[in-house]
Amino acid sequence: MWLFALPALLINVCIILIPAVLTFTAAFFMWDGVGTPVWAGLANFHNMFDDPVFWSALTNNFIWTAIFLTVPVCIALLMAAALLMAPEARIVVQSIIFLPRIIAVAVTGRIFQGMIFSPATGVVAWLNEHGFSISDPLADPDRSLYAVAAVDIWHWWGFLAVVFLAAMRQISIDQIEAARLDGAGFFALFRYVLLPGIRPTLTLMLILTVIWSFQVFEFIFIVTRGGPAYGSEVLATLAYRHAFFEGDVGQAAAAACVMSLFGLCATAAYLWLQRGDDARST
Amino acid sequence: MPLTRRQIVAAIPAAALASQLPRGARAEDGRKVVTFWFGQANSDGQATLRSDLVEAFNASQDKYLLQIEVKGAAVNNLLKVALVAGNGPDIVQTAGPAYLTAIANAGQVLALDDYADKYKWKERFLAPLLNTSVYGGKLYALPRDYESIHLFYNKELFKQNGWKLPTNRAEMEQVADAALAKGIIPFGVGNADWKGVNEWLMTVFLNNVAGPDNVRKALSGELPWTSQPFVEAVELSKAWFNKGYFGKNYFSLTIEQSFLQVVAGKAAMALGGTWSFGTKSYGMSKPDTVMDVTSVPTLGSAFTGSLVHLACGATLSIAKTSQNPDGAAAVFDFMLTRKFYESMNRDWPGKWALPVKDLPPDMLQGIGYPLFEKTIATLHEAFSRGQYGFTTWTFWPGATNSYLIDGIEQVWLNKITTEAYLGRMQTLFSQEAKDGKVPPLPPRTA
Repeated sequence: MWLFALPALLINVCIILIPAVLTFTAAFFMWDGVGTPVWAGLANFHNMFDDPVFWSALTNNFIWTAIFLTVPVCIALLMAAALLMAPEARIVVQSIIFLPRIIAVAVTGRIFQGMIFSPATGVVAWLNEHGFSISDPLADPDRSLYAVAAVDIWHWWGFLAVVFLAAMRQISIDQIEAARLDGAGFFALFRYVLLPGIRPTLTLMLILTVIWSFQVFEFIFIVTRGGPAYGSEVLATLAYRHAFFEGDVGQAAAAACVMSLFGLCATAAYLWLQRGDDARST
Repeated sequence: MPLTRRQIVAAIPAAALASQLPRGARAEDGRKVVTFWFGQANSDGQATLRSDLVEAFNASQDKYLLQIEVKGAAVNNLLKVALVAGNGPDIVQTAGPAYLTAIANAGQVLALDDYADKYKWKERFLAPLLNTSVYGGKLYALPRDYESIHLFYNKELFKQNGWKLPTNRAEMEQVADAALAKGIIPFGVGNADWKGVNEWLMTVFLNNVAGPDNVRKALSGELPWTSQPFVEAVELSKAWFNKGYFGKNYFSLTIEQSFLQVVAGKAAMALGGTWSFGTKSYGMSKPDTVMDVTSVPTLGSAFTGSLVHLACGATLSIAKTSQNPDGAAAVFDFMLTRKFYESMNRDWPGKWALPVKDLPPDMLQGIGYPLFEKTIATLHEAFSRGQYGFTTWTFWPGATNSYLIDGIEQVWLNKITTEAYLGRMQTLFSQEAKDGKVPPLPPRTA
């Protein structure tokens, strides 16, 4: 059995475990990326905890996680349930809502930046010309994180809906029809049949959302680069800035360790929940 | 003849190996290959690189074959990784002395002193620019260009409104207030696509308010960044931002969009770099252009007149592991030929303005771009005489510069105080100075 697992294990050791260990080790060194690393002990972590930008970035990661655990999940669940009830619309609607997922992130980011939010060339400019006084949310440090989150939600929720629909289609049709015969409306069916029926899938997606939320990088980097005034800075953009703009790989590695810590906690929670499920099913 | 599956499978590793030809390889005609990774270049720029550099160099001799790869904005990151892995190009181009410092300190590039003696580079380059690449008494790079922040303005708009070209802060604010009163944006600037625009502005405020002598003292560690001249500089930048001098959409407009506001007469002036000459959509090379350019006037009491800002936008070195350093040096020397200077500055103005000492006036006149020629002549004279300020992207170390760019937005948007901003800058600068990360300063006199 070990022989079967060996190729996958080797790949994982080479491209995940070794870089992970090296990153963890780098967090204890001062290194500019080209010279000789110098032992720094916990100095990188001390510097990080003293930096107010780190704490605002961490807070932004928590806000991002809260947004993505609720808004796209709710929209996707409702859409999946609606599509389950209306099979004739499934193919067309699924194709439309899945479309944003297959557009490259860079393209999506630029579309929203230039064609939606821009006060010179976007929908915001058009609205201002027609009497609505609307400013670019990407230019406001108090709103930029939410504006980028809206872009990512547009890109993400369709995928979630398709996943939830696939899970709902595994629920026994007899169970759904029995609930209907008992007089259950859409929301009762949703609450008492569909949600419990997709609980394992829902749990997995929520756990993955937590992990991905602490790794979020590309949309923020493309649309705002963490600004303005660090308003949309998250741990990943902070780590990138340390590594590639400031030439401080040790500091970047320390930020990356904090990101990984939250991912590990989410993974541990998932394993713990899965163990509970296994115990119940045996 | 159709290939069998086995032949195809066998060909894959061979093709992979062929695509990764080691440096020092020879071309089919026996020439030694010289590899060069370039940063950002649009399609026009890439065509210029091919015709004016690669094809011209390869046609000029028969010993070396120059191969150039355009790597885009990530070239600095790629270079660092490749150099550490001993697998970079022969010619190492960095985005200026601030990037070169780490690479030179790590010994990843060769000292060029022997080549400099052979080709007489020290006699041919302007000393202030060449000295930005001297570490421990050794020369590690050649400056590819010189840059400065200039005041671009719409001369037709100035004429229509009877505005005089400002020569000090009071006159500048007078013009800006008059523009605002007419619904014209005083300065067409925006950083939506490049946050570095913040440092273009801060280069002007720090130098033109606090004065270049105080900036030099601060970069030498003789004066803290928290001292009064710099407080005044940051406070003025904040005041201008809050008065709307940079328009309502500073964070939303791209560099090109904001500059085009000046060309269209919606904005009066722009504080932009000499690289702006290379953007064709601005139309500044046309004889009927509405634009004009001058150096930025004093904005404080530290000096009178106007100031240019010493900047080296890119450096050129030879990798320590290069198999063909002689070929790389030959490419550098080719860049100093009159033919290359003329063709490159004609086709891509501002990108490759080599800071050479022997710049005869007729060489510039051949370019056919009066505004660019005038500006280069001004820069050449100022740098030759040692009268200049210091740009942040050339003389500030990495972490301090990164904070200068991002932190100033917090000041402008009232998230932190000027004192907190400068205090943090001083802390970062002190640490980087201690770690030897501050790029070298040119001597006081040229």
